[in-house]
Amino acid sequence: MKNIKILILAAFSFIVTNKSYAQSINWKNLKSSQKHILHLNTGLDYGVVFGLGYSYQLKSKLPTLLNISYSFPSGNELLGDFKTKIGGQVKLYTVNNFQFSASIYGIYRRYQNPLVRIQNFGSEITGVVGYYKSKWFVAGEAGFDKAIVTNFKHSAKFKEDFPAVKDGWYEPSTGGNFNYGIQTGYSLKKSDITLKIGKLLTQDFKTKPFFPYYLQLGYNLKIGRN
Amino acid sequence: MMKSKVILLVLATTSIFFAGCKKNMNINDAGNLVLKTVDQDPTLPSISVNGTQLHAETFGNPDSAMVVFLHGGPGGDYRNGLNAKQLAANGYFVVFYDQRGSGLSKRHNKNSYSIQLMFDDLSAVIQHYRTSPSQKVFLFGHSWGAILAAGYINKYPTRINGVIFAEPGGFTSTNLDEYGARTRKLNLFSEGTNDVLYFNQFLTGKENDHEILDYKINISSSYTYQKGNSEGIEGPSPFWRNGAVVLNSLGDISNKDGFDFTTNLNLFTTKVLFLYGELNTAYGLEFANKEAVYFANKQISKINGTGHEMIYFKWNNVYPIVLPYLNSLK
Repeated sequence: MKNIKILILAAFSFIVTNKSYAQSINWKNLKSSQKHILHLNTGLDYGVVFGLGYSYQLKSKLPTLLNISYSFPSGNELLGDFKTKIGGQVKLYTVNNFQFSASIYGIYRRYQNPLVRIQNFGSEITGVVGYYKSKWFVAGEAGFDKAIVTNFKHSAKFKEDFPAVKDGWYEPSTGGNFNYGIQTGYSLKKSDITLKIGKLLTQDFKTKPFFPYYLQLGYNLKIGRN
Repeated sequence: MMKSKVILLVLATTSIFFAGCKKNMNINDAGNLVLKTVDQDPTLPSISVNGTQLHAETFGNPDSAMVVFLHGGPGGDYRNGLNAKQLAANGYFVVFYDQRGSGLSKRHNKNSYSIQLMFDDLSAVIQHYRTSPSQKVFLFGHSWGAILAAGYINKYPTRINGVIFAEPGGFTSTNLDEYGARTRKLNLFSEGTNDVLYFNQFLTGKENDHEILDYKINISSSYTYQKGNSEGIEGPSPFWRNGAVVLNSLGDISNKDGFDFTTNLNLFTTKVLFLYGELNTAYGLEFANKEAVYFANKQISKINGTGHEMIYFKWNNVYPIVLPYLNSLK
């Protein structure tokens, strides 16, 4: 019966999936003088998740943001599970109010339960095409999150059952997920309120999650001259 | 200029990191993160029946009355039921086997499983070990194994001489869903929920990637004994390896087609024994009665001081009930 419970939970995990994808930005509203952006977000990411981040806008020909972010699920061991990302977003093309941007991130994430501690380094690539006005925007997004290399370290409790388990780094990849969805937002002079919702696919395009959606509510605070 | 420097720095850092990682282990290789199965490790005890290879062990005199232990899951293994081998000292031939695609038994593709195949495997196991037509055969099922036992006697009401049901959790898909609802009190804010959900973002497997999928179930097992669990599970109990594909396959069959293992249970007139754990608040006497109603001749017994994993944690309380029951039918 415990396996049935786990199966139910595994299915549920896809209901509540909210990947911490690139922070939504209203490029139309972003001034070149606004060098610093603080991000806050919350949603459902295998449980209730909270995230914060910081972006620095480069002085460059193409509008470019360097980002760093940290997110963690709720629970009583706050440092047990978390995800950090570092990378950047670039606005590549603009045609009237239509804009195309892309982002690439390196990911470090950690997971721990009574049986194992897992660390993973991955990457995430996302493209966003949307219609942007200074007060609001709506865009479509698609991306891929790849788990590149993963480290396993098992607890003494796990090794009671399987003493010969091989701890260490595992490669090739231990997984990957595609995502696609929409993002929208409302902007003020110094802030954006954003919402994104979408769907997930595992990398083989065959494994169908029970309810493969993600959701994120975000807030951006832009610091600098308006 | 500054942008280029930053990009170069990121690329350099990434390259240095990945260059430092050894590429010597693959999660899809058996024996790394999950134990090898009987077809991969010839030193494991096994039998070849019904087109598969099952991890199996026996205890006691092969000519004695046979007790076949059916483990939980689907996909679990018999490791946490081994206390039942004590019955061998009481004149029983105790047979343990990991079901098809479960524990250390051979793995098969998802589309190959069916309920009938699980029945056929059980028939084949009994046939493999039975030494005479007069040898009595008893089933001792725990959790999913008890559901399988009910399905088997529903299909073949005259083949079995007695059955012990340890918290089956649903002889019909409706009852199974009800029991699932009782145990599925999901708290999104709990650490236990995170423990079983969070890794799905970087551990994904294809439909028949047995090693990675089994491993995910293995490390999810901590959820079942998280503090405050409704099934009264005290802590971890030993296991070898879970079978994720058979679990997914039979789960899909249940969801798609449903099942009803009660249609012929009234034909089984021999006394059956139901066991339920005192600490399993999701089961209890109420659910035991709900399942026992299909039998005319039954005994329902509470196992004090434990929950769903009664056979592992409180065998000393289970044994004094199981042995007299078996002896009464021997």
